[in-house]
Amino acid sequence: MSATLSVIPGPAKDMNASLALGRKRKRANRIVKTLCLTATGLGLIFLASILATLLSKGIAGLSLTVFTTSTLPPGSHGGLLNAIVGTLIQTVLGAAIGTPIGLMVGTYLAEYARDSALGNAVRFVSDILLSAPSILIGLFVYQIVVSPLGGFSGFAGCLALALIVIPIVVRTTEDMLRLIPSQLREAVIGLGAPKWKMIVLICYRAAREGIVTGILLAVARISGETAPLLFTSLGNLNWSLSLTKPMASLPVTIYQYAGSAFQDWVDLAWAGALLITAAVLAVNIVARTLLRGRK
Amino acid sequence: MRLAATALALGLGVFAFAAQAQQITGAGATFPAPVYTKWGEAAKAAAGLELNYQAIGSGGGQNQILNRTVDFGASDAPMDPAKLESGKLLQLPTVMGAVVPIVNLPGIASNQLKLTGPLLTEIYAGKIVKWNDPKLVELNPGFALPNLAIAPVYRADGSGTTFVFASYLSAVSPEWKEKVGAATSVKWPAGTGSKGNDGVSATVANLKGAIGYVENAFASQNKLTTAQLRNRDGKFVSPTEAAFVAAASNGDWANAKNFAVNLIDQAGAASWPIVSATFILLPKDPKDPARSANVRKFFEWAYKSGDAIAKGLDYIALPAAVKEAALKTWSAEIK
Repeated sequence: MSATLSVIPGPAKDMNASLALGRKRKRANRIVKTLCLTATGLGLIFLASILATLLSKGIAGLSLTVFTTSTLPPGSHGGLLNAIVGTLIQTVLGAAIGTPIGLMVGTYLAEYARDSALGNAVRFVSDILLSAPSILIGLFVYQIVVSPLGGFSGFAGCLALALIVIPIVVRTTEDMLRLIPSQLREAVIGLGAPKWKMIVLICYRAAREGIVTGILLAVARISGETAPLLFTSLGNLNWSLSLTKPMASLPVTIYQYAGSAFQDWVDLAWAGALLITAAVLAVNIVARTLLRGRK
Repeated sequence: MRLAATALALGLGVFAFAAQAQQITGAGATFPAPVYTKWGEAAKAAAGLELNYQAIGSGGGQNQILNRTVDFGASDAPMDPAKLESGKLLQLPTVMGAVVPIVNLPGIASNQLKLTGPLLTEIYAGKIVKWNDPKLVELNPGFALPNLAIAPVYRADGSGTTFVFASYLSAVSPEWKEKVGAATSVKWPAGTGSKGNDGVSATVANLKGAIGYVENAFASQNKLTTAQLRNRDGKFVSPTEAAFVAAASNGDWANAKNFAVNLIDQAGAASWPIVSATFILLPKDPKDPARSANVRKFFEWAYKSGDAIAKGLDYIALPAAVKEAALKTWSAEIK
């Protein structure tokens, strides 16, 4: 530190050197700023072009029949009703199964097992699960549910999605609970409250915003997943709400239609992609306004 | 909390409303998917059966029926007889289709360019690399073929189309048969890979000088530039329905084990040389006889009333005698 200080010349001693140094710093600043702006601009350009393509091609494929008719063979003017409903069911059920488990594991890690060996092991496994390719999760569920039961089912799809939800919720819940200052906990304990009351009434309340955001992130993530559904809920061409039978979903339908030979199927794939994007966007916006309103 | 409760209520409501229609689930080859789904739509009205066919690829179809996760599997490439035996599966044909070469050459319209099997082999082996190669010019005297590099495009994914196309190349070239052979995916000596029929067509459409192979339904639906081929009788034929039917009617079904008929490079002046059948795979020991009966009801309906639909989508219907033989085998093998 002292060496650095002695290098910097004082203004009175060496005006020119000081000015040169200032110019140098400004130049470096400008260069880094330009690079940052370029990177931001590039990112925005890609995002904007994706959205523009999605809008221009998706709106062309949108019509009332998309929402009122199930998928039909090429040329029969089908819609996406079964896929939309299938995605809603599987996303909601997947989140409903995965969220409580994730919440409890996250709470355990943050409140009960901060530095224990078991806690570290659980955290490590959960982080691995978080970065596992989702196709592996699909194959896992295929092996333990689909293959033994002898059939693809909507329920297997829900399970696969729940397995994706768990590690996301674990991570956000733990991180958010850890942000709560220990003084707050000490104050609660000091008032004589049991630990479970501290967690449920104080910690959850203080970390609510972050935890809910984590759950919504998980919902947004699974609503667009294709890979875990390919070998679990398979897809269904017909209207079916049964969880024991194959179930349609938007991502799988998009995957199949986008590469087909038939123009009406390709148009439907774009419409479906637009719907998913809009839904994820809506979930995010609604969540943010809700949270802001409560504050 | 309230959100979770609402979600749960919605989920339970969905259970209650679950429809209990008679459903058949099939999975496999992408090639017959359009005709199977169209058959499904018509059979729903006519026979009260709901077909859910998922195009996951021929290999996937074989695996899923071996694991008994679907009611029937579908495959473009006939299954290995030993595997059929050990998996207790019955293999039956449903429709036939053709594979056609597509090209992207400035100034050349559909069915103007003439090609032969041996030339295709040399192109895909990387031996003929320019469109103005003397061998190509000699075949196409009417056109000024450009000094343009040939870019062969093949299927990067495992595909029944590749199996059929490579079978044809193997049939016309002993060297190809020995060095490369025929399978759902082979080691291509030259060219670039693309995923799916759509990938191959997109690459060919965007790359001047490219050549590829796709299923006929794909080429005609997307109005791709196809080429003529010289058949076994030495005649040049365009990929038309008449040429496909001519080849299909020549198939030696009577002597084909497991109906795995060879329709490649058939004799006949009008025959298109790359035609093949597509198959369904059925468990000989169905767990659920009611569902097995529904599958039979569906394909019986398709054999009887599905020809017009198949034709409308550029497929070729099976000869009546073959359908009869298939149903007879079905009755004998699956009780």
